[in-house]
Amino acid sequence: MPLVEIEDLKVSFSQYGGRVDAVRGVSFTVNEGESLGIVGESGSGKSVSCSALLRLLPATARVSAKAIRLDGIDVLKANKEDLVRLRGRAAAMIFQDPMTAFDPVFTIGHQIVETIQAHRQLSKRDALAEAEQLLLRVEIKNARDVLGYYPHQLSGGMLQRAMIAMALSCRPKVLIADEPTTALDVTIQAQILQLIKKVQAEFGMALIMITHDLGVIAETVDRVLVMYGGEVMEQGPVQQIFDAPQHDYTRTLLASLKTGFDPSADEDMTATPALELRGLSKVYRVGRRAGLFTNHSEFHAVRPVDIVVPRNRIVGLVGESGSGKTTTGMMAMRLTEPTGGQILVNGTDISTMGPAELKSFRRSMQIVFQDSYSALDPMMTLSQIIAEPLHIHGIGTAREQTEKALDWLERVGLPRNFGGRYSHELSGGQRQRVAIARALILGPTVLVADEPTSALDVTVKAQIIGLLKQLQAEMGLSMLFISHDLSTVKSLTDTVVVMYRGRVVEQAATQAIFSEPQHPYTRALLDAIPADNPANRRARSFLSADELEAATPRYTTVQTGLAPNATPQLISIAPDHRVEAIVTT
Amino acid sequence: MLSFILRRLVSVAATFIIVSLIIFFMMHSIPGGPFDANDMPVSEAVRAKLMANLGLDQPLYVQYFRYMWGVLHFDFGVPYQSPGETVTQLLSRAWVPSLVLGGLGVLIGAPLGILLGMAAALNRNSWIDYLASTLATLGLTIPVFVTSMLLILVFAVWLNWLPASGWGKPERWILPIAAYALIPLATYARYTRSAMLDTLNRPFVTVLRAKGLTERRIVFQHVLRNSAIPLVTVFLPMFIGTATGSIFVEAMFRVPGLGAYFVSSIETRDYPLEMALMLMITFMYCIAYLLSDIVYALINPRIRVGGGQ
Repeated sequence: MPLVEIEDLKVSFSQYGGRVDAVRGVSFTVNEGESLGIVGESGSGKSVSCSALLRLLPATARVSAKAIRLDGIDVLKANKEDLVRLRGRAAAMIFQDPMTAFDPVFTIGHQIVETIQAHRQLSKRDALAEAEQLLLRVEIKNARDVLGYYPHQLSGGMLQRAMIAMALSCRPKVLIADEPTTALDVTIQAQILQLIKKVQAEFGMALIMITHDLGVIAETVDRVLVMYGGEVMEQGPVQQIFDAPQHDYTRTLLASLKTGFDPSADEDMTATPALELRGLSKVYRVGRRAGLFTNHSEFHAVRPVDIVVPRNRIVGLVGESGSGKTTTGMMAMRLTEPTGGQILVNGTDISTMGPAELKSFRRSMQIVFQDSYSALDPMMTLSQIIAEPLHIHGIGTAREQTEKALDWLERVGLPRNFGGRYSHELSGGQRQRVAIARALILGPTVLVADEPTSALDVTVKAQIIGLLKQLQAEMGLSMLFISHDLSTVKSLTDTVVVMYRGRVVEQAATQAIFSEPQHPYTRALLDAIPADNPANRRARSFLSADELEAATPRYTTVQTGLAPNATPQLISIAPDHRVEAIVTT
Repeated sequence: MLSFILRRLVSVAATFIIVSLIIFFMMHSIPGGPFDANDMPVSEAVRAKLMANLGLDQPLYVQYFRYMWGVLHFDFGVPYQSPGETVTQLLSRAWVPSLVLGGLGVLIGAPLGILLGMAAALNRNSWIDYLASTLATLGLTIPVFVTSMLLILVFAVWLNWLPASGWGKPERWILPIAAYALIPLATYARYTRSAMLDTLNRPFVTVLRAKGLTERRIVFQHVLRNSAIPLVTVFLPMFIGTATGSIFVEAMFRVPGLGAYFVSSIETRDYPLEMALMLMITFMYCIAYLLSDIVYALINPRIRVGGGQ
């Protein structure tokens, strides 16, 4: 008998008087020790199906099925005692955002102990000892300290490890992982995936991996279920899905994973760059309370960086959260005041401009943000939003402004009659199109795109990237594309700048970065990219921050022509390829 | 923690001094004086003598410093309207009914409000929820003198169960306390409901369910504790704020509390009494906010334990 058995599951939600079907007749099984991947975009019903398995849906959901069985228990008929046995014991779950998945007012130790004691008769002391063992199993080295920490004292990656430890605490037969790495940095993502695979093997559990990311599927599971619009499109062994997809939707998904490299048209490189950052830096003063007084220390969010965005080129700026890449982008637009350095837009230094002068200059520099939902004013119609820059700069009459806004709606692939709608009526991808139209309506020469696709589904993401690429070519835009997603960067950019802890550690043509990465951090980043086919699964090596520090490349004075220096500095090792390295004799 | 409390104490002292300055000078900027009454006119010479005796002929800043020097020694002066006793004696006499009325009102209203808010949040969109919301809205929108009159009309006039006014005997306490309790009840019901709903919608609650914890444990240990964090900031200030007496309730039920003295001290320019009452309220608010800040820090690990690694 299979461990999980779902037959003809239907879920609908009551909403504003009507009912919305979220899952329409889904069936699947999971055997002991097997790993199943469920892939689909948001709204495909993948999470809802698994929440139904543990009866975690809100009261507004109506669930029906021929059968939902988990470890021999009929889930739909389960009483209170059955539910306690189902949840945590038969199946345990890990969630997308570890930062919000723990109760903030209790320690990690308390929350693991509480889980153990809910299912097993153990004294508090024994439960604590076991919690410590579990934390060690998920490779948390200072397990004893972590037991006493509150969630806000740990990083996202550490919290997700602790979450896994908590899920393991009652030896579940199946582990359900709902987008467990989506909220994490690339390198952490790869570590967590590896860890999930490891503990699955050690504990002999079955695994259900819910994700929108085919790379995650390729890395972790044996069998795949492709969902779309609440239905199963296709299911089969992972290799078969990747090599011989049957359904059109699966093919679209796979196509978005394949990344072609297509460099921008050649341009005279001696022309003045569209955007040039010279020694741009940001230092924050941090106050630390000590007794009645406050000690101030300095936090270097961005150490002096030099970045050049040539005309008609796309430069990728990559790094993990906290690396300073967004701060750099915001400073380049003078939306965050830099502490030092210069910003040259088309050869003019804008870092010392006054407000009036800067305003007229903003016509040639625009930005698109990650979260399109909060970037659009909910009280304005789309045509008002898109026309607002024209209004601010006093270009044309009101009628001309609206006309131009509607033209731009069409240009970004939305129908003209959307002009009267509000942003909440749109999907994430559509909203991002509106944000792009608003940024480009002034005809800027420089565009900063700050993670414009990371909140979007895979297929939508590919469309937005395509749109950006097309508009860039049409308008001769120069773009600074900030992202943590290396596969996107690979398909879109001409040059890549890698930032790590506020410093630029490597900078080269996109092809060079991906074929001959020099800095250990760049290598770690590349190593963390999920495989694009299950046949390419590989063991990865992960470096700690100290190891990264120690592995800084060394170049001799003969190669560089520079004087030896013990502190790492950016040196040129080839034309247009710079890397942070130590120069030795 | 100790330095946190010390810093807050310094700011309490500063607030106290600033408020006392504002009140003192506003009080004296109101035209007229304590001996202007028409029903008992005094001659110009007598009034000058009286004013000189009370130090009212001195420049304002001298009067201020004299009064505040007294305050430092717990001497709040002698009320002009009742020269036979000190302000301290008068207050300690009149404060008892106000404290009983306000204290019992909050002690009864607040827990009922919290329970009602909890019940509403846990049974969202049920009749309990609608009842709670209706009660809360009524309690907050209908002025207290209207509800007082309704209570008198129903329970004293029509049903004749309880006395309409007065103090003294315990059965006379019931109606004013009921009228009084309605405000904290409505306030706490609203705050508790929205705080609990916020918490119930947070992702960690789903995680707790997925861990297999019982619903009772989830609500009483996790949800309540998290909801309490925003609640403490409104709980204590309200408690002490209402315990200083309600002018309206006391007037409606003829309770011999502080309420009447608020009005009369302003009307008759009874400076020492007016000043003492205002300083008392300021002091209690300061202490209430200080305490709730401390409690807030104690139950919120983000503040108690500090930032990231």
